[in-house]
Amino acid sequence: MVTYNLYIGCSVPVNYPNYESAMIKVAQAYDMELIYMEGVACCGSPNLRAFDHTGWMTVNARTLAIADKTGYDIVTPCNGCFGSLKDVHHVLMHDDEEREKINKILKKENLEFTGVAKPRHFVEVLYHDIGIDEIKKKITKPLDGVGIAIHYGCHLLRPGDVTEFKPEYLQELVKVTGATVIDYPLWKQCCGATVLPVNEDIAIRLARDKVKSMKESGAVFATVVCPACGNQLDLQQLGLKESYGEVYNLPVLVYPQILGLALGMDEEEVGLGMNRVPADPILEHLSD
Amino acid sequence: MSNPVLIIGAGVAGMTAAVELADSGIKTVLVERLSTTGGNALNLYKAFPTDDCFYCFEGNRWRPGIRKCFYRSALTEQPNIDLKMNSQVEEISGLPGNFSVKLDIGPQYVDPKKCTMCGLCIEKSKAFSLVSPQCQPQAVVYDPEIEDTGTTSAAEECPTKAINLDAKSTKKIISVSDIVIATGYHEMQPVNVDEYGYGTHPNIITQLELARILDPLGETKGVLLRPSDGKPAKRVMMVQCVGSRDENYYAYCSKICCVFALKHAAILTQDHEDVEVSVVYMDIRTYDRYEKYYRDTRNAGVEYIRGRVSRIEPQDDGSLDIIVFDSLLNKYLKFSVDIFVLSSALEPSAGSSQIISSLGLKSASGFIGAINPETEVVVGNRIYACGSALGPSEVPESVTQARAVVSKILQSKE
Amino acid sequence: MLVVYLMTEMEERSGPPITLIDPIDMSKLDPTFRDEIKSMPNGEALSACFACSTCTAACPIANMWKYKPHQLIRMILLGMKEEVLSSNEIWLCLTCYECQERCPQKVRVTDIFFDCKNLAAEEGKIPPNVVALAKELLTKGQLYTVTADWEREDMGLEPEVPGLSVEAVKTILKDTRTRKIVGGDE
Repeated sequence: MVTYNLYIGCSVPVNYPNYESAMIKVAQAYDMELIYMEGVACCGSPNLRAFDHTGWMTVNARTLAIADKTGYDIVTPCNGCFGSLKDVHHVLMHDDEEREKINKILKKENLEFTGVAKPRHFVEVLYHDIGIDEIKKKITKPLDGVGIAIHYGCHLLRPGDVTEFKPEYLQELVKVTGATVIDYPLWKQCCGATVLPVNEDIAIRLARDKVKSMKESGAVFATVVCPACGNQLDLQQLGLKESYGEVYNLPVLVYPQILGLALGMDEEEVGLGMNRVPADPILEHLSD
Repeated sequence: MSNPVLIIGAGVAGMTAAVELADSGIKTVLVERLSTTGGNALNLYKAFPTDDCFYCFEGNRWRPGIRKCFYRSALTEQPNIDLKMNSQVEEISGLPGNFSVKLDIGPQYVDPKKCTMCGLCIEKSKAFSLVSPQCQPQAVVYDPEIEDTGTTSAAEECPTKAINLDAKSTKKIISVSDIVIATGYHEMQPVNVDEYGYGTHPNIITQLELARILDPLGETKGVLLRPSDGKPAKRVMMVQCVGSRDENYYAYCSKICCVFALKHAAILTQDHEDVEVSVVYMDIRTYDRYEKYYRDTRNAGVEYIRGRVSRIEPQDDGSLDIIVFDSLLNKYLKFSVDIFVLSSALEPSAGSSQIISSLGLKSASGFIGAINPETEVVVGNRIYACGSALGPSEVPESVTQARAVVSKILQSKE
Repeated sequence: MLVVYLMTEMEERSGPPITLIDPIDMSKLDPTFRDEIKSMPNGEALSACFACSTCTAACPIANMWKYKPHQLIRMILLGMKEEVLSSNEIWLCLTCYECQERCPQKVRVTDIFFDCKNLAAEEGKIPPNVVALAKELLTKGQLYTVTADWEREDMGLEPEVPGLSVEAVKTILKDTRTRKIVGGDE
């Protein structure tokens, strides 16, 4: 059993309890111990970073420092948290001056950033620590080659020198469930979540273009690994009927839901009922 | 005894061809119109790509000679080179292998083999001067036009008796086997491109004029001063493609002006204090290794503005207000500058069209054209060209072309 | 006054212009702005920009912007501090990093826009919706709060989010710029 600090963030537990639950169940299936971090705060990304760099650095450095005390890496299911923690970790590892400044603030709470605990995304841990071969061994109900479009999410992939995440990781993780990865032109494009507070029209347009591109390329489902992206592609999809007069019916599942189903969990266990675009049609694609 | 090879022009290309042919045992006659060899490169101060004085490129340092200087030792010491300074080719006739060439050989007032450049004559008379400490041949130059009262005694008191004031020009007809045209380029005087105001204000100059200001051996000893009043210049603006890539002047890209300008921008920002440089351009063409100049100068703070100059407004204090349209920003910007430098087109040198017509060669926008693009240095039957006579070229390229000519001639002699 | 000059320069005029060419006077701009950005950790490669506009080509939404990403970088290099810090564009940035990832000169475009937003925030130039988010973070210590705990319970999770400490965020942000932005009695 390998132990990790679970940094759940503030969006997943509120908007995606099914993501949280599916992740924990998948982790259990692979003998990963996820321990909820105590006394940690919202990462504030990317809004806090925009107007209060020091505040953003401190909040995230504090989370990293709490994990440093345990020595276990941090796992998060959210691209926003992942991006923020990765970014701050990267800066503090490379900028001595900034590290001193932030550690001075953290000292009030008897905390210190040491860089021991690395921030990691749940899917990256699956890929690297469990490995595709081990994942495959436990799959009992593989998907029948159904086409799945992957939305990676900006802060998972970029900036590449900081996140160190490669698209192949998620592609392999989807393929191992028996599904087919669908290439689509807008695979790199942003879901629009970050611009939602400033310009809703742009945000919805981006989500719509994304869903349209997936659907037109032959995707039957989409998968995301971030609550903000999920909100954009799943929930906002319902509103497209009114704003664009378009209906796509493209179910959007978080990756642990897909893997969970392939591991033999039923639809309730992975919380398919909470998906906004009805996701139960995916059950048809599971082998008996 | 076979005929020598005639080389017209003792710039980089001509000198290289002459020295390397001579080293291979071929007799050469090297004809130079001016009183010093080196051509345009002599005025470059630092030449790219190594920022050395062009005489001293790394590749040439193997040769034993005075202060490692390759041409210096070769041009006067190599017996196979017959160097004719202040001389011109008047007429060429005859057949390939046995061309008959009529030369107008200038008077040899100062014998370079005797002159020690002690400077006594220069002290006595303004008619004597030293073009450059690196000049070749290593000798002072006499200009009969400015003869004064000290001239005669200067000649008489010359410790090595190197001066002959009665020297006359002579005509001579020689037979040569091959002809190498290395007549170089000329920097266009952009007087007709009226939007840039060249010739209307002393602080509007060309890149070659800037090179002379930057040269530590030049008049200002390398200090950047405004030509108008000799005050220190702090703000320099350059504009690219003046007369180049312009159907009204020269349709071709002059190829080396970008690197030329950027080299100057690098010198200005790195070797001078507090000088701000802006470069107005349509495209920056720093091909190959020259991208380094582009990057280094950006890092040094040189401001690159994609766009064109709208107008120039001279100010009472000697500065120039220049309004530039920034096409990337889609805005007009107003700058105040001390010196405005035009990267003027490089055009064929004066004699180029005459050589083309008298030898029946191809013209490539006024430069010497190759018979076959695959052998660009072969321009006629036993007639070759190298360096900027073929079109604007950088120093290493001129050297390479000169070596190609040498190779072609050696092959034909086997 | 610099601000007034630039604002009138940049705004669309209602009447006919007085002169046909009304250039931006470089001497009235702030050349230290470039150095200010350059001195920040992300600004190192700023001057490597050769204005190829790859960033604009990469940006999914630049078509809606008055100033495109490559123009904003140019404006920083030219010293148009007021214009850049007052622009809506920096706040509209998706932070998707497509520009930064594709920049052939390794200019950290997205990160530089983050720096610009921080400088703008320091001067109080910040959109009201973003101020509202700042207030949310400062008062509640999080961006989202549980409204439907039955959803969590349905999934077999604790109704309250385990381990979340809103007090820590509040405490930190009280000493940083967030407090200044929110202002008031909070």
